[in-house]
Amino acid sequence: MSKLSNLFMTVCAWALGIAWILPLLYAFWAAFHPAETATSFDLTAPLTLENFKTAWQQAPFLSYMINTVVITLMILIVQLVLCTLAGYALARIEFWGRGVVFALILMQLMVVPEILIVENYQTVASLGLVDTYLSVGLPYFASAFGIFLLRQTFMTVPQDLENAARIEGCSRLQIIWKVYVPLARPTYLAFALVSISYHWNNFLWPLVVTNTENSRPLTVGMAIFGAPESGVDWSIVSAGTLISISLLLVLFLIFQRQFVQSFMNSGIK
Amino acid sequence: MSYICVKGLTKRYDDVVAVDNISFEAEEGEFVALLGPSGCGKSTTLMMLAGLEDPSEGSIVFNGQDVTKAAPGKRGLSMVFQSYALFPHLSVGENILFGLKARKVSNNERNARLEEVLDLVDLRAHVNKKPGQLSGGQCQRVALARAIVSRAPICLMDEPLSNLDAKLRNEMRTEIRALQKKLGLTVIYVTHDQVEAMSMADRVILLNQGRIEQNGKPEDLYNKPESTFVAGFIGHPPMNLIADAQMVLGIRPEHIALSEGAGLSTSVINCDYHGANTLIAVDYRGHALKFILQGHHNHPVGTPLNIQWQRGQEHYFSDQNGRRLAVPTVSHFLTEGLS
Repeated sequence: MSKLSNLFMTVCAWALGIAWILPLLYAFWAAFHPAETATSFDLTAPLTLENFKTAWQQAPFLSYMINTVVITLMILIVQLVLCTLAGYALARIEFWGRGVVFALILMQLMVVPEILIVENYQTVASLGLVDTYLSVGLPYFASAFGIFLLRQTFMTVPQDLENAARIEGCSRLQIIWKVYVPLARPTYLAFALVSISYHWNNFLWPLVVTNTENSRPLTVGMAIFGAPESGVDWSIVSAGTLISISLLLVLFLIFQRQFVQSFMNSGIK
Repeated sequence: MSYICVKGLTKRYDDVVAVDNISFEAEEGEFVALLGPSGCGKSTTLMMLAGLEDPSEGSIVFNGQDVTKAAPGKRGLSMVFQSYALFPHLSVGENILFGLKARKVSNNERNARLEEVLDLVDLRAHVNKKPGQLSGGQCQRVALARAIVSRAPICLMDEPLSNLDAKLRNEMRTEIRALQKKLGLTVIYVTHDQVEAMSMADRVILLNQGRIEQNGKPEDLYNKPESTFVAGFIGHPPMNLIADAQMVLGIRPEHIALSEGAGLSTSVINCDYHGANTLIAVDYRGHALKFILQGHHNHPVGTPLNIQWQRGQEHYFSDQNGRRLAVPTVSHFLTEGLS
């Protein structure tokens, strides 16, 4: 019986894994073959790098790439600072209405960001920030997920450690920096991974709020290839996709082990 | 004026009074133990001395300076925690130097002080290990070293030995006392263990329900308990306290001896063998008395035993408020049977 269910699990895992990786494998196939053989899967078809060249020339990938990196890092850094301070305050500072504030933050977790797109656009427009890096990041800076995650982690830090640091003359910020942050490292790593992959791939909000290549990230830039008026050339779309995911892919392969471990350590899977 | 001067210290949580109007003093270089059962307010008192809790009322003066409202880091004190409170992400050496780094002490000075303190607490071999790799006793030493290295004149200790096993606790007791004397530290030491308080401290302050029951030398607490609470708390096994219509008589188990013929005629209730001695409980007119005999004794229940003690070894307390009575005006029924 258990053998059978084991077999079933294995088959399911493989099926899911293959279903997940197929688009990526196809992208690799199409990107390295001329458009004529992109859908024929002829193993003898000639390999080519022409698609990458075309894609690179058709769109300003370099500035898209820079935009994406800057936007993603900016969001991550601001999130880490804000979530650390908010998480610490909610975990360790007793103030009037703390429970209500925390409940409101948890409620934010349940709101789908897309619902707020119009409202957010009006805010960003009234600030005169449309088509800037700041406008892409602004709605995501105070991450409810990050605040919740760090609050929970900070709550597990023994009060005595903070007391010991206070006796040694540390200020609140020093305590956070020297005691809480190092002890929450796995949580930071896990959160950073979630944040980076989410904002690297984020599409709808950047599409709404960016107008030019000054701030347009890769995901929005890629959409040009798929637009009906420019015609769909799968080989070139695939090549562009590979270019845009290349940096993340390399980073993931290098840090794969740490990523998995930090997720295990922080208790999220 | 004394080195540490605490006046009218009170801590209220909503309607619970944890510490109730406590006043005491400590001289420079003195080892003072705050002793009491759990919930008596001794740890809260220490937290207020450290500045980690704000007092509801009262003042704290260290070396002539009022520090009642000062930040913990500005009071010139170090602290050893029951949980050791070592930073798990730092090595032993970094843990010890944590405070000096926070206070921006120069690199040379830091290293010199580390060298000095490592020898004092015998941790040289472990300086690069993380706290997770150390035994309980070694962690305790790191916590001590961190307190010593700051060179703060006052050291607060919150049950530092209660997480250690009995053998190690005895060793560390001697070690802490020796270090305190060598460095001339003024120590306020919180414990619920009377053996620790009696053996280490110059002075013991016994707390009960947020108030001071007695403040005195260890031998005073043992020889002249100020109340029935002190009498029952200090000494192992605790003092026999027998009430009659007028007052309470206290007699320590170790002062009672068997007698031939004379004395109180009692009958055995129970014998409890402890190895070196036997704790015997006897019944005298419906009152249980406990006393200690050297060696192994096993009397069946009901065995008649005559006991007595030297007159003058008993203590008298008021049956109204439990306070000590100087000289009894009338005799207690227990002493009538004694010669």
